[in-house]
Amino acid sequence: MIRFTSPRLPAYAVLVGSGLVAGLALGRVEPVALAAPFALALVAAVLARQPTVAARLSLDRERALEGDEVKATIELSGHAGHLELLLPLPQELTAEDGAARALVLRAREERTIELTLRCERWGAFSLGPLLVRARDVLGFRSWEGEAAEVQSLRVYPSEETLRSLVAPLETQVFAGNQVSRVRGEGIEFADLRAWQPGDRVRRVNWRASALRGELWVNEQHPERNTDVVLFLDTFSDVRAHGRSTHDRAVRAAATLAHGYLQRKDRVGLIGFGGFLSWLLPASGTRRLYAIVDTLLTSDVVQSFAFRDVDTLPPRTLPPKALVLAITPLLDARTAAALLDLRARGYDLIVVEVSPVEIVAPEPGSHMELAHRLWRLSRDALRWRYETVGVPVVTWRDDMPLAVPIEEVNSFRHLARPA
Amino acid sequence: MAAGALLLVFALVRRGGSLGLALWIAGAVYVSEIVAAGRHVDATAPVVAVLLLLCGELAAWSLDERWEIRSDDLLGWRRAAAVCALALAGLVAAAVVLGLAAVPPSHGLVWTAVGAVAAVGAAGVGALLRPR
Repeated sequence: MIRFTSPRLPAYAVLVGSGLVAGLALGRVEPVALAAPFALALVAAVLARQPTVAARLSLDRERALEGDEVKATIELSGHAGHLELLLPLPQELTAEDGAARALVLRAREERTIELTLRCERWGAFSLGPLLVRARDVLGFRSWEGEAAEVQSLRVYPSEETLRSLVAPLETQVFAGNQVSRVRGEGIEFADLRAWQPGDRVRRVNWRASALRGELWVNEQHPERNTDVVLFLDTFSDVRAHGRSTHDRAVRAAATLAHGYLQRKDRVGLIGFGGFLSWLLPASGTRRLYAIVDTLLTSDVVQSFAFRDVDTLPPRTLPPKALVLAITPLLDARTAAALLDLRARGYDLIVVEVSPVEIVAPEPGSHMELAHRLWRLSRDALRWRYETVGVPVVTWRDDMPLAVPIEEVNSFRHLARPA
Repeated sequence: MAAGALLLVFALVRRGGSLGLALWIAGAVYVSEIVAAGRHVDATAPVVAVLLLLCGELAAWSLDERWEIRSDDLLGWRRAAAVCALALAGLVAAAVVLGLAAVPPSHGLVWTAVGAVAAVGAAGVGALLRPR
């Protein structure tokens, strides 16, 4: 621990010295009498013992959801006349009654302090070490240091409720929950056709065969899985008044990943921005955790590096995959990359996390014209997407994610593969 | 008045960083007044000394309480008791100093030895307090 001395001590020492010198110089006893209590204070400071403090920090869990409360327990032992503790917290976590405590720790006493931490925003955090400051009773000398080991806490984004998901236009070859558009072995009835050599007897539709006087068989749609790639734009973020487009984009990505993985689809992730991150499409709970963990560490990094789709590893975008782009449509590199993806034949849907409401100018201000021009340029970009057959749905700040998803679904039957 | 105005200026400019200077000025004002008053010993000097010490300690205490920290009630009582004990001890020490000053000089070897021990003790305290 590092030792500090109160600024009072040198001041008192100067007072004592001045009193003694003045007493000698003036031949008076009063200056010496003035100095006597301060000299006594110096002696009291010298007699202060160095405290010993041992601390242990633990959390009641390592993972939490946005809005959850996590209990942090601090176990203390040792001795200190006046002990101050501070658990440094990131902005995304808040503590009831503050993260600092002051207490008395008597010799051979063990104390436990509980802090209730509220998870205000998702993220991966490291808590600790504790900052400890021990002082003598009068605060003449203090010892500062760190104690306890670092604990990690992962706060997952809260998920939105979705009634349905966007169905990809094309399915993959593996079994899943998505009814394929092609015909084959399945449960969902597709059509009738005349019997052909090789058809199984169980597929014969006896009622239709009796009507037509020849054998007819049922055709079904097979249940297949799909590949979904979540394309997260991390080039830019608009943040104001506690609202952020990136926060909402991460929340949407986590919600969609959970929804598709529950349907046994394979889900991949591309973080397209200053830092490029990706996860190959896969299914299962492990993939869900991998995606959410990657989302937690995703951050918007300012970058002027040129990026396009060619920088992505080849297997991150499998053929016939549904690409769900979640973007505020602010960076030209993302806009160009998405148009490139469409040109390569991917089934692309753009969910625009609208920053318009966040940066709305005050009515009557001179910024209104600029804001209007900006909105027009965004409309032009949306029009470019729509001309190449890419649906763009706007997710406004005050609406649930289900609204833009349902908007896509309502026009999905018109969609055709590129 | 001038010293008081000077203290006020320092308090406004330095915001607590000139506590020692304030105490020094207050002490200097007192000493200059008793010097100007004449040769008789001022019997209230221990009280003035303790009041000066209390000024310093209470000001430092208030500065320590600037940050809102949830703390044990016991902490405040312990510090109050310590400040009171220090003030009482300081009062006794200052009174002893005044009493010893009344002892006439050349009063024997014992008093000389006590004075020497006090000087060595003061030097020792200074050596212990020096920054390492």
